[in-house]
Amino acid sequence: MTNEEIREQIEAIFESAIQHSKVTAHGELEVRVAVDQFLMLMAYLKQNRDYDFDYLSHITGVDYLDMDPDREFRFEVVYELFSSKKDHHIRVFVDLPEVEPTIPSVYHLWHGADFPERELYDMFGFIVMDHPNMKRLIMPEGWEGHPLLRDYPLTVEEIAFSHNPDHKSELIKTQEDVKVDPWA
Amino acid sequence: MGVTEQGLLERDKDTMTLNMGPQHPSTHGVFRVVLEMDGEIVKSAEPDIGFLHTGIEKTAENKRYIHCIPMTDRLDYLSPPQNNLAFCLTVEKLLGVKELPARADYLRVIMCELGRIGSHLVWLGTHALDIGAMTVFLYAWREREMILDLNEMISGVRMMTSYIRVGGVAKDATPEWLDGVRKFVDYFPAKVDEYESLLTNNPIWLDRTRGIGTMTKEEAVLWSMSGPVLRASGLNWDWRKRKPYSRYDEFNFEIPTQDHGDIYDRYLVRVEEMRQSREIIKQALDNLPDGPYKLEDNKISLPPRDTLHTSMESLIHHFKLVSDGVKVPKGSAYVPTEGARGEVGFYIVSDGSNTPYRVKLRAPSFMGIPGMCKMMEGAFIADVVAIIGSIDIVMGEVDR
Repeated sequence: MTNEEIREQIEAIFESAIQHSKVTAHGELEVRVAVDQFLMLMAYLKQNRDYDFDYLSHITGVDYLDMDPDREFRFEVVYELFSSKKDHHIRVFVDLPEVEPTIPSVYHLWHGADFPERELYDMFGFIVMDHPNMKRLIMPEGWEGHPLLRDYPLTVEEIAFSHNPDHKSELIKTQEDVKVDPWA
Repeated sequence: MGVTEQGLLERDKDTMTLNMGPQHPSTHGVFRVVLEMDGEIVKSAEPDIGFLHTGIEKTAENKRYIHCIPMTDRLDYLSPPQNNLAFCLTVEKLLGVKELPARADYLRVIMCELGRIGSHLVWLGTHALDIGAMTVFLYAWREREMILDLNEMISGVRMMTSYIRVGGVAKDATPEWLDGVRKFVDYFPAKVDEYESLLTNNPIWLDRTRGIGTMTKEEAVLWSMSGPVLRASGLNWDWRKRKPYSRYDEFNFEIPTQDHGDIYDRYLVRVEEMRQSREIIKQALDNLPDGPYKLEDNKISLPPRDTLHTSMESLIHHFKLVSDGVKVPKGSAYVPTEGARGEVGFYIVSDGSNTPYRVKLRAPSFMGIPGMCKMMEGAFIADVVAIIGSIDIVMGEVDR
């Protein structure tokens, strides 16, 4: 099946739940789905023998706080699916709100989602429902905050020892504070 | 276990929890796994990662595109050129670069395949060492040293080459370097035979690897394994063939596959991959085209160094690129490539500025760890290190 055919079929079945779908100039199929129909779509993609999307390549989150502050949804989750038998490739986008960003787990469809979904919680604080072992993955347990959020400070410079009593730890928040630009 | 009144040890439950790592020589970096043991049999294995977390994805959001390339080296530090390539291909896709000069692609291919051989040599040496064959380790290191010398010749650095840049490569190959690669290509096949003579029919090696850590094709796909693990389970999936990038379609090579999906099959697949990589390098050397080694569009790649003294335009382009960097159009892209361990790719979101908005690495080791722990269930404790070795994890790209 061509990407265009898959796109038309999905559009026909899921109708209004598909907020946006297109085949890009590079020939990649991209679909944006509403979060309430998301699990249905993923199960359909996995189980439809014509598509055979049986391989999950990766899952990632994006925080659009700085890029587009007026965006209706602050967060986006991206799923990249391939077929091991056919030459199919689809990228599924889901928008999540700023307050209680919740998404169902796809672990029972692709077990490879285990780590990436834990990473979503760890790095972005998304609540992944029904994941069998949901806890922090990379950051230590008890860590506060979710590092890949755009409003998470880049680093906290702890000054271990100083002769100057006025020295205070410095909080670096944005790129302007970091001064990576030697010409600025 | 608790101590009873009689002073005898008594088991509280049927299983024993055993901690392995992170400071363990056979976990290939700082990987920790908590094993639930029933006697000598592993009941379940719980991975624990994050000890090597350096926040590279967060750092990349605050750096120029060109500054990100040296950081990609540090992800999979055993085959850096493949990470450089995956990053650069994605940025080029966002920039709308259709085609690179042929010489640039060929030099990229040579570096990547040298990187793959180097990485597989480290895997072979340490994997054999884990199982108890010390000699292979020394042999493999001997040949890897040649690759590191070649890296140093062309990029000035032995490991973190950062040789592949957006729009081409950093420097043109010198005749001395090409001679060095040619010597390596001629020298290497006999050495692979030598490793095979030590291991392939070695009864101890067969005992320790055959039928252990088995994964069927369906399981491997379900658990998102990639690269040699997938191919050892019988699936012919290689991004160099499936979606050729960097002119891989111009080379003749085979994708080795095996059917059983055990540790021994992964060994066979990787050893054969070393031979095929050597084939690719040989063909690339034979057919290396002349011409530019990077894009001549100076809005993307730096102008040649010697023109800076004679051409005002080159000087301006150089200044702009170094001080401000390349501005990448708004959008997102992902390009899957075949690294030494499997599918390597960067998902990059650009907001139209000179710094990436979001950089996500799809790392084969990271995706492979849950499947690896699945393999450990039901295995003997002694096989745990063999299974870890056969997946060939690199903690740099797991923890990022």
